[in-house]
Amino acid sequence: MTSPHRSHAVSRPLAGLAIIAAGLFCLASGAEPAAAADDSSAPEMGHQVKGPQNVETVMPGAAGGKPETKIPTKGTDQKAEPEDQSTGKDQSDGNTQPTAADEAQTQNKSEAHAQPEPVYPEGSPLNKSGSQAQSGPAANEAEKSAAAPAEQPKAVEAKPAPTEAEPEGTTTTYGATPEEIEKRMSEETEKPATAAKGSDIEALSNDPAQWPTAAKNYASTRYSKLDQINVNNVGKLQAAWMFSLGTIAGQEAAPLVVDNVMYVIGPYPNEVFALDATTGDLKWSYKPKPNPSAIGVACCDVVTRGLAYDHGKIFITTLDDFAVALDAKSGKELWHTKLGDINLGETTTMAPLAADGKIFIGNSGGEMGVRGWMTALDQETGEIVWRGYSTGPDSEVLIGDDFKAPYESMKGKDLGVKTWPPDHWKIGGGAPWGWVSYDPETNMIFYGSGNPGPWNSNQRPGDNKWTTTIFARDADTGSVKWAYQVNPHDLWDYDEINENLLLDLDIDGHTRKTLIHVGRNGHMYVMDRKTGELISAEPYDTVTSIKKIDLKTGRPVLNPDMKPDLNKVVRNVCPASPGAKDWQPSAYSPRTKLMYVPHQHLCMNYKTTEVGYIAGTPFVGAVVDMYAGPGGYRGEYMAWDPVQKKKVWAIKEKFPVWSGTVVTAGDVAFYGTMDRWLKAVNAKTGDLLWKFRAGSGFIGQPVTYKGSDGRQYVAILDGVGGWSGAIAHADIDPRARNGALGFTGAMQDLPAYTKGGAELLVFAIPKEANAQASADHNHQANAAQ
Amino acid sequence: MSHNLLSKALVGGVAIGAVVLLGAAADVTPDDSEKGVPPTPSRLLDVPESHIIPGNIKVQPKIENPVADDSDAVNRGMKYFANFNCAGCHAANGAGGMGPALSDHTFKFGSDPANIYLTISHGRPTGMPAWGTLLPSNVIWDLVAYIKSISNAPSPQWGKTTSLDAFKIEQVPAEFQSTPTPWQYTEPFSYGQKPTAEVNSGMNTK
Repeated sequence: MTSPHRSHAVSRPLAGLAIIAAGLFCLASGAEPAAAADDSSAPEMGHQVKGPQNVETVMPGAAGGKPETKIPTKGTDQKAEPEDQSTGKDQSDGNTQPTAADEAQTQNKSEAHAQPEPVYPEGSPLNKSGSQAQSGPAANEAEKSAAAPAEQPKAVEAKPAPTEAEPEGTTTTYGATPEEIEKRMSEETEKPATAAKGSDIEALSNDPAQWPTAAKNYASTRYSKLDQINVNNVGKLQAAWMFSLGTIAGQEAAPLVVDNVMYVIGPYPNEVFALDATTGDLKWSYKPKPNPSAIGVACCDVVTRGLAYDHGKIFITTLDDFAVALDAKSGKELWHTKLGDINLGETTTMAPLAADGKIFIGNSGGEMGVRGWMTALDQETGEIVWRGYSTGPDSEVLIGDDFKAPYESMKGKDLGVKTWPPDHWKIGGGAPWGWVSYDPETNMIFYGSGNPGPWNSNQRPGDNKWTTTIFARDADTGSVKWAYQVNPHDLWDYDEINENLLLDLDIDGHTRKTLIHVGRNGHMYVMDRKTGELISAEPYDTVTSIKKIDLKTGRPVLNPDMKPDLNKVVRNVCPASPGAKDWQPSAYSPRTKLMYVPHQHLCMNYKTTEVGYIAGTPFVGAVVDMYAGPGGYRGEYMAWDPVQKKKVWAIKEKFPVWSGTVVTAGDVAFYGTMDRWLKAVNAKTGDLLWKFRAGSGFIGQPVTYKGSDGRQYVAILDGVGGWSGAIAHADIDPRARNGALGFTGAMQDLPAYTKGGAELLVFAIPKEANAQASADHNHQANAAQ
Repeated sequence: MSHNLLSKALVGGVAIGAVVLLGAAADVTPDDSEKGVPPTPSRLLDVPESHIIPGNIKVQPKIENPVADDSDAVNRGMKYFANFNCAGCHAANGAGGMGPALSDHTFKFGSDPANIYLTISHGRPTGMPAWGTLLPSNVIWDLVAYIKSISNAPSPQWGKTTSLDAFKIEQVPAEFQSTPTPWQYTEPFSYGQKPTAEVNSGMNTK
């Protein structure tokens, strides 16, 4: 039945695939698929749980080679040599089956990975039990009902670029007047920082000269107390120096600045550079050696969102799942630890967070059927301290007795298993690839998990916990204190990995310790960060998919007209899959008491299709077609009042505003556009104060710091890409709308505005102008008093 | 480099020059195999990936797609394209995304059927998985037939001009039109707005 040379080619780790291959040969010869499965000797392989067995740590020069790596097992203090871990211990049911073959696997670590059991759609030739193996995909039948203009003739005359219904780049004011904002600013209070346990970041982030973590501080406000550059003089800003990272792909990373040294990391292959933050002199660079095949499992360009600093070390992740520590002074490698497996579709793209003597890193791969995890590593050794999964039994999610569910539907044992079809949680996504915030007072970390897999929700009935969930975990143990699922049974790829700002706000006469989550689902969540209970959740952009967020149940009330039944085209779904805002982080000014939110304004057509799980390939099952939201514009930069729950002003942009932002005590806010403008606006009014035309579109994160010459600088990486912008530098056809997971439809004209880039841009006010403007500012400030 | 090594290298260079002359006179074109019969693995091994052949020897094994005359191959290929998650990376109609676009005649690793076959079978080190272990050759040849079909974009010029004015057409999007020949169904370019098909046909439900 199978040709001899193929049988030999199938090695032990590929046994699961051997079943598939055998099934195909049956398809070709008309034999019963069931008989083919008997040819495989190792069907058990498909049941093993992937997990920390893939971890290995290497410290150059460490005595005896590899150090011990701790396996995160709740309630035990199990330690094992990395070699032992590849036996694939299944902690969920104790079904450990080390075999001779398992031992053989350890000889080649790169292949020693358990394969989750494949799941195939009906009609797929891979479906062992499928009776329709010979018929076409169900998708084809349903096409008949789609009212497609099948007889439409070729190439009609193109219309000119449409005139935008609403002007771009102009500010619309909605709420508080500048006077009202002035009044708030006079009430500005800043609390003294609590010393963080075992971290430099808290002290450094209070020093306005530094930018020690991507979000500036643990509360993730991206606010700088520097005011040398202010509303009066920002117009004089000029380029001070530049540096090319040499790799054209989306530049999403935030530069860090510690003691006048700037640290930046580029997209794959994730090269790191340390530069004098004042002169731009290159001090050192470090090139990891990620596996190029990782490119093939990175869903949305080969980006990274930054690196971390603590205790004289720099921490990075590579696209192929390594965490690496470098000596910040010399660039020398201190340790590297493998955290995941590209053959299971796992990548790492987030900026790690350093706190509590640890590094926190989550995986990416929600489009590849990964199982999401957050991992804490020891800063000194690279050992894994704990790993908490987003799905699966409580023992692996690290939900224990100290867990308090904020709402009824989030109560119960092992919801990470019970809210899924059997075993689906093993490939169910929930990758936490976004931002981690940290509260030193309670020693808790806060982050959100990503979308469930596949996007086709019909294949995973249930709430699919704990995907699209905000987790509050103890930093030391990973133990979950509370978890709030934002989009139970997500229908639209609304990852909720977006930033969480930890703000103490005066709400209804009380100071509330809040967590603000700028939801991908278009709602601004203000939550009690001690309990996960909602204080408010109001839409901040066009939303048609959700009617409202029910504050009693904590659940969104979905629009029943938009149920994405299999193969049905659902139209005008707003926000589109990237949400009303994606990963690009917001800022908050304690002076204006406003949030500054870069975001998109997109809707979409959406059609679910059946999809089968094949490890290392996409697990999506949706045809998506995005386009501009009402008004014809595609992005917006807005100021939002989290207490009044309303938009104060907004600037419409042609393309999604996919850059981060920073706001300063000089009342200036910076952001970049995908059509190559870096802009500075008045934080009170939204008035445009300065703009700079750069080489490529912006999707990076602006930061600000003080150089050794005492001057304030603004830095940002320039180079368009990412999910939205890859069309400008990668091989994506603007004429086929469903490309880039449907983002092509909304970005198809971007290549007429920009190509990719790889430039670090640093701006300052020239010395003479600076002196004059500072004097003016002081004069005005004095006059105001 | 020592004097000895240098002179050896020079002698070698002369020898290579001689081969070049010989090579130019003799293109190596292996015999075509029987039509409709899949090429043997050893014949596929002769397919070069580079277009620079030392000695300028033109190696051109003529390997046709064995299912080229099977009119149903593109339909089977379209089904496999969805079922093996090719569409997850290359997108519906080969629009491109995680993997490169397959919609515009452009193939990084060669556009002959045998090149595309080898790309699928062996994978490529910049992300393309190696499917040869999983998929039998007849499935791969069906995929090749489908990919050749969707790549057939109208190309009025040799290179590509990009500008707002140069954007003329887009495909009828795949949510409305499932076909192995998407370039037969086009409409005016939409510049990031709703697809024209939907607007024109009154399918806008808003």
